[in-house]
Formats: sequence, C-alpha cells, structure tokens
Amino acid sequence: MSVEIILILAAAAVLVFWAVSTYNFFVSSKARIKAAKEEIGNQLKRQAELIPNLESSAKGFLKQEKAIFEALTSARKAVAKAVKSGDLQEMSDAGAQLAQVIPQISIAVEDNPEIKSDKVVTRLMEELRDTSDKVMFSRRLLIDLVADYNVRRVSVPSRFIASMFSFEELEGLKAPKEGEHLEVSSSDIRAPKVNL
Amino acid sequence: MQNIYEVQASNRRKSWAVIVGFILFFTAAVWVLSQAFAVYLGYEPGGLGIVGIAFIISGLMSFGSYYYSDRIVLSISRARPADRKRDYQFYSVAENLSIGAGVPMPKLYVIEDTAPNAFATGRDPDHAVVVATTGLIQKLNRTELEGVVAHELSHIKHYDIRLMSIVSVLVGSIALLADFFLRASFWGGGRRDRKGGGGLIILVGLLFAILSPIIAQLIKLMVSRRREFMADAGAVTITRQPSGLISALKKIAADHEPLEVANKATAHLYIENPFKDKRKDAIGRFAGLFNTHPPLEKRLEALEKMS
Repeated sequence: MSVEIILILAAAAVLVFWAVSTYNFFVSSKARIKAAKEEIGNQLKRQAELIPNLESSAKGFLKQEKAIFEALTSARKAVAKAVKSGDLQEMSDAGAQLAQVIPQISIAVEDNPEIKSDKVVTRLMEELRDTSDKVMFSRRLLIDLVADYNVRRVSVPSRFIASMFSFEELEGLKAPKEGEHLEVSSSDIRAPKVNL
Repeated sequence: MQNIYEVQASNRRKSWAVIVGFILFFTAAVWVLSQAFAVYLGYEPGGLGIVGIAFIISGLMSFGSYYYSDRIVLSISRARPADRKRDYQFYSVAENLSIGAGVPMPKLYVIEDTAPNAFATGRDPDHAVVVATTGLIQKLNRTELEGVVAHELSHIKHYDIRLMSIVSVLVGSIALLADFFLRASFWGGGRRDRKGGGGLIILVGLLFAILSPIIAQLIKLMVSRRREFMADAGAVTITRQPSGLISALKKIAADHEPLEVANKATAHLYIENPFKDKRKDAIGRFAGLFNTHPPLEKRLEALEKMS
C-alpha cells in the first residue's frame, strides 16, 4: 500500500469517528434531556410532599398572617393537582407559585424573634430552602443540557450531522415573558440575614 | 469581562496546550534517553523495550493509587462518612449541586479538623468522594459551601483525578528511565568506545537523564494548576454565583491553621494549599513553580472577571 492510500484511509477513519461521536452526542443529549425533565417532576413532587408538613407546623405561628397562610394553601392545592396531571409545565408553574410564598414566610419568621429561635421552625426553613434549591438545580440541569444541544445543533461542523439526521431544536422550560419575576421587588432588595 | 462560556472555552484550550506540550516533551525525552541507551550499550535494547519496561513499572506503581485512590486517601486522612442529620448543610448542598451538575451524588466524608479545607478524589464520577473538614462546614455559609463543593464536583466531572494519575504515570516512567540510564553509566563506564561517534548522544542523554525528571515534574504541576482554574470556572457554571467561591477562598486563605492530616502526597487534592506557607518575594515566585495550586490572587482575579 502506498503512503497516499494509508493517509486517505486514516483521514476517513477520523471522519467516521467524528461523525459517529457527534451523532451519539445528539442522541444521548435527547435522552438526558428527557431524564432531566423527569428529575424536575421528581423534585417538584418531593417539594409538594413537604408542604402539608409545613402547613401544619406553620399554622401555630402564622395565625396573624392570614394572607400568607391562604397563599400557602392554594399553592399546595395547585401543586397537588399538577403532580396528579403529571404535566411538567403545570408542575413547574405550581412550583413557582410556591416559590413566591416561601420568601414571605421567611420574612415573617425573620421579623419574629420568638418564632425564629424555635428549633422546629429553623429546621423547617432549612428544609424549605433545600427543597427549592433542589428544584432550581434540576431546572438548571435541563436548561444547560438543552442549551448545549441547541448550540451544537447550529454550530459548525456539528450542524452538518444535525441537519443530515434532522435533529430538531428542543425547547427547555418556558418562562412567562412578563410578570413579577422580571421585576425586582422591595423584598428582593432586603439584605439577606446571615445566621451563623 | 468574559462570560462563563468563554472562560470555559479558553480554559479548555490552555489545558489542552499544556497537555500537548507535556506529551511532546515526554516523547522527546523518551526518544533521547532510549537512543542514548542504545548507543551506550552498543546495541538496540529491543527498540523501545527499555521504555516499555519503565512505563509498565511506573504504571504498576501508580495503578494502585489510581484505582483505590478513594479508599487510600480516606484512610490516610482519617475521614468519617457524612450524615444527613449531622452534616446537614454539607450533605444537602452536595446533593443539590450534583443534581445541577448532572453527576451521580458522590460519597461524602468529613474530617474532624478545624482547619477549613476540602478535596475530591475517586477514579470516575461513579466512584467519586468529596471530603470536607468540620472547620469548613462550620466557618462557611451555605452559598460559600456551594462554591467549594461545586469546585470539587467540577474536578470530578472533568475526570481531573484520572488525568493527574495518567500524568503521574508518565512522569514516573521518565524518572525511572533517567534512573536506569544514570545507574547504567555508573556501572559500565568502559563500554563507551564500542561504537564510534556516540559521545554526543550520550552527553545529551546524560543531560536529559538529569533534567527531564525535574522538567516533567514542573509540567505536571502546571497541568495541576491549569485544572484548578478550570475547576473554579466549572464551579461557577454550576452555581452561577462567583461570589460564593470568592468569599469562601478568601476565608480559607485567611485561616492560618495548617491541616494536620494533609501531607505532601495528598496536598494537590485540596481546594487550597493546606500548608499555608506563602512568600511574596522572588523566592516565593520560584517556589510557586513547584506549587500544585495557582496563587490565590490569580484565582480570585479570574473569578471576579466572571461576576
């Protein structure tokens, strides 16, 4: 065999290797994105299961904070309904509703030193923060995976493989285009209190 | 001002450049040494045979430390498994971040020591271990702890432990080769004249035998420092909050207590140099070449660019 043939064969092998690994990237990304969506549902369910707990222990100290308590109850109902339906967008919206109530509770707790020193409440607040973090990170994973996939889909040279096998653009999570979450409210500006 | 994706990309490029440089140097050193051997002994010792032997010995020596790295380090460092109740912050932060990073949850361990520090080890994400000291868990708040744990998870995600093990094997084989050569020339001084004109290559071989283990070691440390920058950037990709890691690093650096269970063998694993011996003059800069970690100021600077 002459050198030229060996070189051509080597180049072809590299090309095939690249094509296969790029194809595999797209396929495995799709599978991972699907798994990431399930993970969000999973974490939202976990959060939903924590709320009845929160409701019963918050009842005592939130007596005067009627509005918060009602918001909490309706958030719980929305989450329960969404979990039952199994629709990701609905679950995510319900989770967002809950996420709005939690800071209100923490402010109520912060303002009341008597409650703040209560062990059960502190523990509960920690669990709440943790569970909303978990939901946030599971959403982030989905966002990152979708972004990676979509970037590779349109950038050269992987886009040739994407168009050859017609991999479609994937959507991550929808966020409402307008609403409170795009504005900074006064409670957001409050300096966070650090407990050491 | 660079966004996190640009930082990631430039880190990856620089890291590759260092690794390619290392491979080129390794090949050159091995070639020169084996040539010198051939000339010196007066015959080809089975082509690259002697290199193969050095590689296998070095590989065998490092294999154990690579394959059982998690268990060995844990027993050296006297760590206990973390408990969700007892180490709530550490445990839940690690749980959340591994969801965010898309890696399986690593095993968590705690070292009872008030010096704040943390490290990760394990050969792949399925066998990963993250260890924190009780000092770290107590002295940092949740955001700072997230920064530190994300740094460790990013080491795991990018297979840094595997990379450093491979580099160690290569450095080890160069050291062995050089050692073989020096010993051989010590014993068999008389054979030099068997083949004419080999004087130069033997001289170069001698030079390489003396210098290449040091140079290889220096490049290995360069790789290590590069990977620290990468892990810092990776941590920000996971948390999207450089401020957490910045203030955590400042707190860790401000603490002057040395970590008792750290030794030279495990130092490179930690998030910050556990020995705390820093000098800012020329000697310090020279000593910096031998550091496993980049200087703190450089790391903070890189992180602040991202925020």
